[in-house]
Amino acid sequence: MTTEPLASHSPSSPDDGEVHHHVASARRHVIVLLALLGFTALTVGAYTINLGEWNLVAAVVISTLKAALVVWFFMELKDDVAFNRLVFLGAVIFIGLFMAYTMNDTRHRNRVDAYNGARVDPRSGEFAGGTAAGIVAQGGELGPLPVIAAESDGEAAHE
Amino acid sequence: MSTEAHGDSHFLQHHYDTPAQQFNAAKLGMWLFLAQELLFFGGLFVAYGVFRSWYPQAWVVGSHLLDYRMGALNTAVLLLSSFTAVMAVRSAQTGNQKATGNFLLATIALAGVFMVVKYFEYAHKFEVGFLPGSHFAPHGVGLAEIVEAARESGVNGVPYHLRTFFGLYFVMTGVHGLHVLIGMFVMGWMWNRNRKGEFSTRYSTPVEMTALYWHLVDIIWIFLFPLLYLID
Amino acid sequence: MTVEAEAEAAIPADPHHIPEGADYITHEHGLKSWLTTVDHKRIGVMYLISILLAFFAGGVFALILRTELLTPGKTIMEADTYNEMFTLHGAIMVFLFIIPSIPAALGNFFLPIMIGAKDVAFPKLNLASLYIYWIGAIFTLIAIVAGHIDTGWTFYTPYSMRGDNSAVWMTIGVFILGFSSILTGLNFIATVHKMRSPGMHWRRLPLFIWGIYATAVIQVLATPVLAITLLLLATEKIVGIGIFDPALGGDPVLFQHFFWFYSHPAVYIMILPGMAIVSEVIACFSRRKVFGYMFIAMSSVALALLGFLVWGHHMFVSGQSEYATMVFSALTFLVAIPSGVKIFNWLATLYQGSISLESPMLYSLAFIALFTIGGLTGLFLGTLSTDIHLHDTYFVVAHFHYVMVGGTVFGFLSGLHYWWPKITGRLYDERWARVAFVLVFIGFNVTFFSQFILGSRGMPRRYYSYLDQFQPLHMTSSGGAYIIGVGFVVMAIMFAKSLKSGAKAGRNPWGSAGYEWPHPHNFAEQPVFTRGPYDYHLATERELFTGTDEEWDAHMAKKGEA
Ligand SMILES: [Cu+2]
Repeated sequence: MTTEPLASHSPSSPDDGEVHHHVASARRHVIVLLALLGFTALTVGAYTINLGEWNLVAAVVISTLKAALVVWFFMELKDDVAFNRLVFLGAVIFIGLFMAYTMNDTRHRNRVDAYNGARVDPRSGEFAGGTAAGIVAQGGELGPLPVIAAESDGEAAHE
Repeated sequence: MSTEAHGDSHFLQHHYDTPAQQFNAAKLGMWLFLAQELLFFGGLFVAYGVFRSWYPQAWVVGSHLLDYRMGALNTAVLLLSSFTAVMAVRSAQTGNQKATGNFLLATIALAGVFMVVKYFEYAHKFEVGFLPGSHFAPHGVGLAEIVEAARESGVNGVPYHLRTFFGLYFVMTGVHGLHVLIGMFVMGWMWNRNRKGEFSTRYSTPVEMTALYWHLVDIIWIFLFPLLYLID
Repeated sequence: MTVEAEAEAAIPADPHHIPEGADYITHEHGLKSWLTTVDHKRIGVMYLISILLAFFAGGVFALILRTELLTPGKTIMEADTYNEMFTLHGAIMVFLFIIPSIPAALGNFFLPIMIGAKDVAFPKLNLASLYIYWIGAIFTLIAIVAGHIDTGWTFYTPYSMRGDNSAVWMTIGVFILGFSSILTGLNFIATVHKMRSPGMHWRRLPLFIWGIYATAVIQVLATPVLAITLLLLATEKIVGIGIFDPALGGDPVLFQHFFWFYSHPAVYIMILPGMAIVSEVIACFSRRKVFGYMFIAMSSVALALLGFLVWGHHMFVSGQSEYATMVFSALTFLVAIPSGVKIFNWLATLYQGSISLESPMLYSLAFIALFTIGGLTGLFLGTLSTDIHLHDTYFVVAHFHYVMVGGTVFGFLSGLHYWWPKITGRLYDERWARVAFVLVFIGFNVTFFSQFILGSRGMPRRYYSYLDQFQPLHMTSSGGAYIIGVGFVVMAIMFAKSLKSGAKAGRNPWGSAGYEWPHPHNFAEQPVFTRGPYDYHLATERELFTGTDEEWDAHMAKKGEA
């Protein structure tokens, strides 16, 4: 049994104009910290086993959970007024919006007209970098691997 | 002593009626500030998303060029510092001045550890030429590291856009590091105010606001770590 | 600390305490008392002076530009100078004038008064944001002196990657100005939420406050993206990180996404406060309760949020994906709905009102007409097929001047005339105010309506020279600009005369039921609001009395005799 209550004041504190904190127990903070460290271990663990496409998903989901723990318990949004929650949520939603709309462009360029916007100069046929068509025109994005002298620990390759 | 209801509230600014009003306003103000911080970093994450989707090979190889153990260590350090920050707040709210000071110092120390680790990471990248954009010129050990990273990630060549990866790596971690430094400075200031006995069970708002800021810096890193260091 | 000393310290000195017979301007003297003040009224006045200086500078650039455009080819300056001039005109007008104009100057002055607060939530932060504004302005000045920014106010990549580093100064300047804007917005939201007096519930909030509040939401959510955009731009320029530069694998179109994610919502930072003032003025000069109060209030909030969904309509010809283009075009039309809601509610407020056409009302009515033209032509530009034809022509220039000048500047002038007696304690010469209005209104339409025609005939914007066939319309446009210039000179003289020798204003010269009027400056004590800000039928005779305090006493004495 815990001797310390999780919150020392009920939300309906007397309206005496004083600040009434929900002082959380140290125990709860320790539990949250351990959970956060555990999730970090999990992220690194997920990295070492290959999940393919799902690695990104796993990383983002676990990070979101960790961030949620920090926001909910450490930043005490749990006990905060609704509007402060809305402010936080609003910021996250607007970042999502920014990303979704921007990537709706960058991932779908040149679908209808493959050359639209891809060429710097129509006469020379030079392609702009940064567009899918441009990358393909440049022969992909890979350069040759550097040749390293055998048994080199880096000294030999030094310019 | 004054017998007025809030007569001894020397911390209460003249334009507020009650300490609760002042506290609630400060807290809302802080959350709004954090919202703008989120949008600020949000831009970087959007750029990250765009280029990661365009240059997946550069991102895989680039992330193998970062030392994920250092990143994990720094993640643990920052999480721990978030814990000490929250304990500083708790101590301030319960009127334990000494513990407040100590927890603040611990938070500053952990932030310092983070920056030192970061320094070693940066120093190595500068040394081997893993520099952003137009300055990207790997040499020496760097070349061997690229070969190794390409092998590990199954990429048969050197992605041209590694320079973009490192461009974003330095901007993202750089802006984040700047926030860590600012946080250290503010916590040092709070430590000094606490030492002078400015905080009490009735008034610990500045410590709480500083901690909120610090948690946000932590949250940014929680996302930066897997997105930069852990790409397969 | 002894008990006595503690008790002494317990009573905080009230920096807002104004002794009997003095006012917020005269109760303290000297430059230092102004520079260290935390009084929102004084900060508002300092903002007002600053933005008027910026407006003057931007206006001079505009007149120089229009003079150059009188003839094709060189008239008074070289092409390079012209490019710098329109960049400075745009950047100064947008970042130093329009964005801070209504919120930071008039908003600072009236927000706390209208909700019955002693000050904004964070007065020191308020002063800090003024200083940050000044620092940003200094960097912008350095950029002008250091030299050579010809990118337009939009700093588009890859062009802005070229040339010398003076663009970096401008970037830093705007970056800093952005923080000033964020802090003001943050302060205002906290003020509206936490500082309202008893009785000031959300359904009684004056529409000016609703508009400023919606603006503040955009300032907080959009401006940080401008900050990161400019930071990336400066880093790209100095270091070459390869995010926007196509030569390094970056994407110049991504810059446009970043820039417009801020700058489209910023259009609402500019227009919402103008709409907010119009809502106040229309009610006052129709002596009527605002029609559809909640619709006007909520349409401000709706505009603030919808404004974030449409930024790609600036990028239809940028090489953006066709899917994104279609989505952005469709969403753009949504913005017309809350704008239309406002227009119809204002018109319904006028209907059967007892209208008086004094100068603030004239500017507000002009706002409605000009904003309608500006808004509707915006729909032409939001339509894909017509935008391909009109993009980067004078049609666009005319459109956004109808919105920003016909909208924001006219709204600002309406508010400035309306609240002038409250801010300065003096009346101005109504006849000369109307003369100035007629000049500015006619000049404005001559200048910019001809640009609609120019644009639809294919005259590209930002060009130094043009085909001979465009000259008559360019000359008409320049002529209109000079008329505007004369109008503003008349207005400046009129206001200067008012400051110097204007008659003493009563508490409520327009007889408004608004909360900001019946008390000298802030409320002496915390008020308890028992009626709405447009409830003319509930306002007392004293509240609506338009004369001075002495005249009121005389009035009462006469009543007593009768
Ligand atoms: Cu727009």
